[in-house]
Amino acid sequence: MKFDLEWLREYLETDADADTLAERLTHCGLLVETRDEVDSTEVWDIEVTTNRPDAMNHRGLAREAAVAVKGRLKTLQHELEETTESAQELAAVEIRDPDLCSRYVARVIRGVRLIPSPQWLQDRLERCGVRPINAIVDATNYVLLETGQPLHAFDLDRLAGRRIVVRRANAGEILETLDGLERKLETDDLVIADAERAVALAGVMGGADSEIGDTTIDVLLESAHFDALSVRRSARRFAIHTEASHRFERGADPEMAPVAADLAARLIAELTGAKVCRGQIDVCPKPWKPTDHEFGISALGRFAGLEISASEVERILAGLEFAPRLDGDRVICTPPSFRGDIERTADLYEEIIRHVGYEAIPAELPILGTPPGRRHPNWQLIDRGRDAAVRAGLAEVVTWAFIEPQVDRRLEDWPLCPGKSVSLVNPLASTQAVMRRSLVPSLLGAARETLNQGERSLALFEQGRVFSVDHEGEMHERERLALVLSGGGAGWPGVDRVGFSELKGVVENILRDTAFPDIGWRRGGAPWLEQSEGAELVDAAGRVIGVCGRLGSEEAARWGLKQDLLVAELDLDAAAAEPVLPKFRPLPRFPAITADMTIEHQLDLPYSEIEAAVWDLAGERIEKVSMEARYSGKGLPAGHVRSTLRLVYRHPDRSLTQEEVNEAQEGLRSALSGRFDVQFT
Amino acid sequence: MGVARLDEVRAAFLEDLGQAGKDASAVEAVRVKYAGRRSGLLLDLTAALRDLPKEERRDYGRALNDLKQDIGKCLDEAREASISGAAAPQDMVDISLPGMALTRGAEHPVNLVRRKIEEIFLRMGYDVEAGPEIEDDWHNFEALNIPSDHPARDDHDTFYVTGDRLLRTHTSPVQARVMENRKPPIRIIVPGKVYRRDSDLRHSPMFHQIEGLLVDEGISFGNLKATLETFLHALFSGHGVDVRFRPSYFPFTEPSAEVDITCIFCGGSGCAVCSRSGWIEILGSGMVDPRVFERVGIDSERYTGFAFGLGLDRVAMLMYGIPDLRQLFSGDQRLTRQFA
Ligand SMILES: [Zn+2]
Repeated sequence: MKFDLEWLREYLETDADADTLAERLTHCGLLVETRDEVDSTEVWDIEVTTNRPDAMNHRGLAREAAVAVKGRLKTLQHELEETTESAQELAAVEIRDPDLCSRYVARVIRGVRLIPSPQWLQDRLERCGVRPINAIVDATNYVLLETGQPLHAFDLDRLAGRRIVVRRANAGEILETLDGLERKLETDDLVIADAERAVALAGVMGGADSEIGDTTIDVLLESAHFDALSVRRSARRFAIHTEASHRFERGADPEMAPVAADLAARLIAELTGAKVCRGQIDVCPKPWKPTDHEFGISALGRFAGLEISASEVERILAGLEFAPRLDGDRVICTPPSFRGDIERTADLYEEIIRHVGYEAIPAELPILGTPPGRRHPNWQLIDRGRDAAVRAGLAEVVTWAFIEPQVDRRLEDWPLCPGKSVSLVNPLASTQAVMRRSLVPSLLGAARETLNQGERSLALFEQGRVFSVDHEGEMHERERLALVLSGGGAGWPGVDRVGFSELKGVVENILRDTAFPDIGWRRGGAPWLEQSEGAELVDAAGRVIGVCGRLGSEEAARWGLKQDLLVAELDLDAAAAEPVLPKFRPLPRFPAITADMTIEHQLDLPYSEIEAAVWDLAGERIEKVSMEARYSGKGLPAGHVRSTLRLVYRHPDRSLTQEEVNEAQEGLRSALSGRFDVQFT
Repeated sequence: MGVARLDEVRAAFLEDLGQAGKDASAVEAVRVKYAGRRSGLLLDLTAALRDLPKEERRDYGRALNDLKQDIGKCLDEAREASISGAAAPQDMVDISLPGMALTRGAEHPVNLVRRKIEEIFLRMGYDVEAGPEIEDDWHNFEALNIPSDHPARDDHDTFYVTGDRLLRTHTSPVQARVMENRKPPIRIIVPGKVYRRDSDLRHSPMFHQIEGLLVDEGISFGNLKATLETFLHALFSGHGVDVRFRPSYFPFTEPSAEVDITCIFCGGSGCAVCSRSGWIEILGSGMVDPRVFERVGIDSERYTGFAFGLGLDRVAMLMYGIPDLRQLFSGDQRLTRQFA
């Protein structure tokens, strides 16, 4: 909010210069964000927090400043000259809903002229970001910026029956507000009405019908106190934000209404040559009642971590107009009407501590009575996955958690789809309307963007949650890890283009490092994945816990991806809570003998079955079985491949002989021939 | 001329050879200069023999022979000691070629910052907690003293989902959950994703926060100050930052403090990043409002505590000089690879 320094100083007695003033205000909680020199003064932009409506005006800010620089707040003069004609005889006010309007003060001013206000006043308004309009409106705005009390001027002759009725709107009642829009009211809206119809939306905006204009002679000046919640609801529903609603919403000063009415009436009379009628019409069905608070100075010191003297407590509270009375350690005080935010002891502590200054409080670490810190298992789990992916050479990315509904619908076919999707009621964009059920779509989008930038190879992953809702409406969140590989080159020495085997290698490393239980691989993942190169990962219970393979060509085309992509997603929640500690095995003492075996077999005999059979049939001296090479093509019938397995034999207590190994190999060949339709070369 | 000249040449030769050191090509240059077959200095010295008077020739000839032998021997030794560039050039590895290795993985800067902060607080005895991203109104707002129609809700542009659920607008609901289920002393931090319906250069509909809470008997505002100063000095170690506490307002703390550090870009003298103020707002904090304690069932007469929160993305941007918040969520591996 903008303040005029020269104006502020009119209420303030102090020797402090502008720099000191700005610094002390910042230190007591009124952050001076910017300072601009304008003409002979400075305009300060100050951040006034929502709980401090009392400081959203020059006088209120001056009160804070006076305490902050140990100065003095000057008293406000509001006597005015009145005619003998009584306002009571010219107009009447009735409050029908005292729960929403606790006080309504009106003044009648006769013989106004619609002229511009003097330059000095226009300048002050403009420095504070308020547009000058005419002397009458400007006067009400001036008093608002001075005291924080919103005011409104009605053309008295245009109020039917010269009456003000404060009431809830009738359902469907129409009011044309000052901005020219027709507002359809509800019974929750509080309106100012005349004898016939609504003429203003209370505390928010005046109506066009009763607006002052060229023909206005007599003015009824409103200075009232409206309920914060009611103003807030109306202002929100109609999306209107005015200087008045801003202050009422946050809580105006219920005792300021009569004072501000006099200030504004005097100013209007002065500027336009009009006369102020005798007396106020002051309807006050619910007068403000002060409340006493009591606290101990020593308790305050313990809470702050600094002993604060009784005289300092007294100085601060008196300066803030809390009327403190001291009795030994006890302080009794009465917060003023403009401090509706003060409800309990903690609020009083805050007032004192912020004026003592946070910088004056010595820093002292708390003494610990707790065991060493522990990380929630969920964080341990997901960071284990994250570490595993980083160790596998992948770069982590973070993408939006919301996706497009059309993409989300296709996820019904994704083997790791967790349930029904969760939609946003109020998304920012239609492309971000559904909470994701898989991390893969956002990664594909990211992959496309990066490839379009000219990158040739990708190795990236994301760790994040997926969301779903079950038929009972229960929300579910699961931790996932997804990755994308593409291209090759430097990241994979000797590999031009990564394929399924590189993907599987990365996935297996992550599975092991994240401590997944035993996982089986089976064909799956279509149509998202290429049927020939897609796999589902299943746990012992047969639940799918991962998907892994080459992105299907149809899906790739949908995403506009021209380069082959390998994708995988793992359900991290399926991993073990704690990784198992590896157990040491004694290192062998005798040398091993390695022997290869080349087997020609049909492609539909999976390698995993061959290897299992080797373990089963090769005898107890076998130590390791691995895939050495695979050949298909020339010289082999269609559908046949040649697999070369490398076998390592070792005896724990002595050196094996080549003859023993040859014999074992021979035995294995015949045993395998007996089990499968295979040939040896 | 004469033997004295030979001594001069010997001294010059030894100096040249000393300068050549172990550089094979430099040693070769020395050889050419002194023992070169076409224009070496030794040739001149040998030719000079003829011009000498007879009585001097004998001594000169003997001294010249010694010099030749010494030069030859020194050159042989120097050549052997030098790193030979001449051996088998076709097998030579160009050691300036780039090395080949598996690409290293890299963690997103936001997580780098999160782990750094976790580390600091774990050492101070804080637990790291977690909670749901889809929250209910009670934990996200009501329990934290933000009833509906509270003006503070204006700062929380909220995404709502099916039913009466919302995407949490801050990590504070986890505080409420922990306080409901655990007795003090409580000492936790809560990192995580949060969501607000806002998108521009400085706002993104999804971002990351970290939140802290300490509840115990006799916790003072001085304890809050010391804890956050310790934390910020550790987080920005190397920058030697000053920490400033300013009164502010949050519905769930009373009193509240906005915490600034001296600008790490200009050291406090004022620059574009800190809007010429020399300070950067880094976190919000305060003493837990007794109303919050009452809502979650903690005795507000017996216990006090403090809470604080900061944006992880913002810290990452400051630390690594990333100008645009939304770049963090572009999904571009080239951003992350810079932090490998
Ligand atoms: Zn700076």
